Amino acid sequence: MKTQRAADIVVGCGIALFGVFIIYASTLITGGAEHRLPPETFPMVVGCLLLLCGSGLAFKSWRIRGADFAINWPDGQGVRTILVTLAGVACYIVLLNPLGLPLASFLYIALMIWYLKRSQWLTALVIALITAAVSYILFIRLLGLSFPAGFLFG
Amino acid sequence: MGFSFDYLLQGFAIALTWQNLFWAAVGCFIGTLVGVLPGIGPVSGIAILLPLTAVLPPTSAIIMMASIYYGAMYGGSTTAIVVNIPGEASSVPTAMDGYQLAKQGKAGPALAVAAIGSFVAGTISVIALTLFAPILAQFAVVFGPPEYFALMFMGLSLVISLSGRALLKGIISTALGLTAALVGQDPLTGAERLTFGSVTLTVGMDFIAIIVGLFAITEVMVNVEQRISTISEMEIKSWMPTWEDLKPCWGTFLRSTAVGFFLGLLPGCAPSVTSFVAYDLEKRVSKHPERFGSGAMEGVAAPETSNNATSTAGFVPLFSFGLPTAPSMAVLLGGLMMYGLQPGPMLFIQNPDFVWAVIASMYIGNVMLLVLNLPLIGVWVRIVRIPFYILGPLIVFCAIVGTYSVRFQTFDIWVMLLFGVIGYFMRKLGFPIAPMVLASVLAQMLETALGQSLLISQGSPVVFFTRPIAAVFMVLAFVSIGRGIWAQITAKAPEVVTDDAEY
Repeated sequence: MKTQRAADIVVGCGIALFGVFIIYASTLITGGAEHRLPPETFPMVVGCLLLLCGSGLAFKSWRIRGADFAINWPDGQGVRTILVTLAGVACYIVLLNPLGLPLASFLYIALMIWYLKRSQWLTALVIALITAAVSYILFIRLLGLSFPAGFLFG
Repeated sequence: MGFSFDYLLQGFAIALTWQNLFWAAVGCFIGTLVGVLPGIGPVSGIAILLPLTAVLPPTSAIIMMASIYYGAMYGGSTTAIVVNIPGEASSVPTAMDGYQLAKQGKAGPALAVAAIGSFVAGTISVIALTLFAPILAQFAVVFGPPEYFALMFMGLSLVISLSGRALLKGIISTALGLTAALVGQDPLTGAERLTFGSVTLTVGMDFIAIIVGLFAITEVMVNVEQRISTISEMEIKSWMPTWEDLKPCWGTFLRSTAVGFFLGLLPGCAPSVTSFVAYDLEKRVSKHPERFGSGAMEGVAAPETSNNATSTAGFVPLFSFGLPTAPSMAVLLGGLMMYGLQPGPMLFIQNPDFVWAVIASMYIGNVMLLVLNLPLIGVWVRIVRIPFYILGPLIVFCAIVGTYSVRFQTFDIWVMLLFGVIGYFMRKLGFPIAPMVLASVLAQMLETALGQSLLISQGSPVVFFTRPIAAVFMVLAFVSIGRGIWAQITAKAPEVVTDDAEY
């Protein structure tokens, strides 16, 4: 998928397959058949739209014989940074309930700033500490929102 | 219910309460900050902060959200002029002349002209909003489910057709947005759809999580990939524009306001479109078109004025019909729905205090923004220097807190992350994001209106063509789709396309 044309062909086929899947899934919907607009109608229409447009995109791109251009994918370091960022967010979500919002936020902010700029570890700690304090005082204590407080503040 | 000074005065009485003034000021400040900060645009800013306002009363919350929106449109010019990095697509033309002016030592006056233009546009547009919106709402009171379905269908079709040459990608984006919104329970029958027996999926995908993911997480991914760390060393010595700076701009302010406002009433005409149109118009009417691109003050005034006029104009169809004309309006529509308010003509009848207070707050907000923007230009320029390695993790923190606070479900944060990844690939592969946002917000209303229409008509779809207003919208929708398809067919040779619309 280095060029736009190749990407459009692959994504078009993928979208068409996804459309087939949605059409199949809509046949599994039960109940409400007596209504003027049964519950499976909309998913069926959307599935058909995905199938048609996905196939159309793949076919149209396959026919292209003109100029093509490369997609601006990230380099190796860019990919690594994105993956670490996503993994960081995923860990943050996983740890949110067991550790609570303040502690999970502290760890996430400190580690992410440190990862993105190694030399700024002190800044990372200070900002993480402020964020954790704000999340606890503002969201949990003052606003009383139902965020997990965790074992430290629970 | 038409326009009445009594309603407006009542609105001012509510907007001028100290709580609402405070939230408007907070919104203006945060909005300008959002506009100024590199790597975070107005839509992302509103999307991240929207769920956090859940603790406020609806009127204060929407006043704050509206302030954030036009504050961000004000603030977007700073990065464009000072560091040649447009905060959002609508500031691209601003950067063309603004940065040249900055290099000539006129960054301060250029920023001041942008702020004055935004103030003029905001004030004239909010007067037009005050007069137009109730008239349109009065007209829309006769709307039944068929008219609403036809209107929403037309809105979606116009946004799709404005996906430019990437029509198929626009339709796919819409269909994916609809698919996400279909997961969960059918609004009419309560039947489970696309849940595959999962209890978690039964609650459905919250559109706020989808929007926050598509804008905030995607934005972070794009910025960390590019390793953006914007640092400007430019100092602003004086911000006061001279008479020579302002003299050629008065006509520009008025023309660009008209262009921005009237085009902004149309679905899909985002500020990014109107700012280019206004810039082009100014270049055409100018006696010295050769100065454009090399430091013309009108080149800064035109896009900044028109994008603010467009921002305000978007509230007219939103309040009158419940129709969002741009991604930012779709997010605000989501906000109204989150507070249990039904945007559309009934809003003026059922919640007049709310709608007039929000309109009144816009007058106040415009003055606040001028006061914030002119003397604080130096401060905003320093804020441009906050590096992304600090900003990125904080954006993720706000996105997670905001998304979680809507329903307090961890599932919503996973949905946010998923749509962040989807949004990243959509941007890379040239799929427009706006149709997906609109579809995910409108899906439930669209399906409910369709179901109710078919109930009224005993199952006959002809109802959309026998009722005059619905028929007009349906014809416009089909003309729009047909025009898009025709443009695809008649293209001389198929060519590779990418999204050329704002998101």
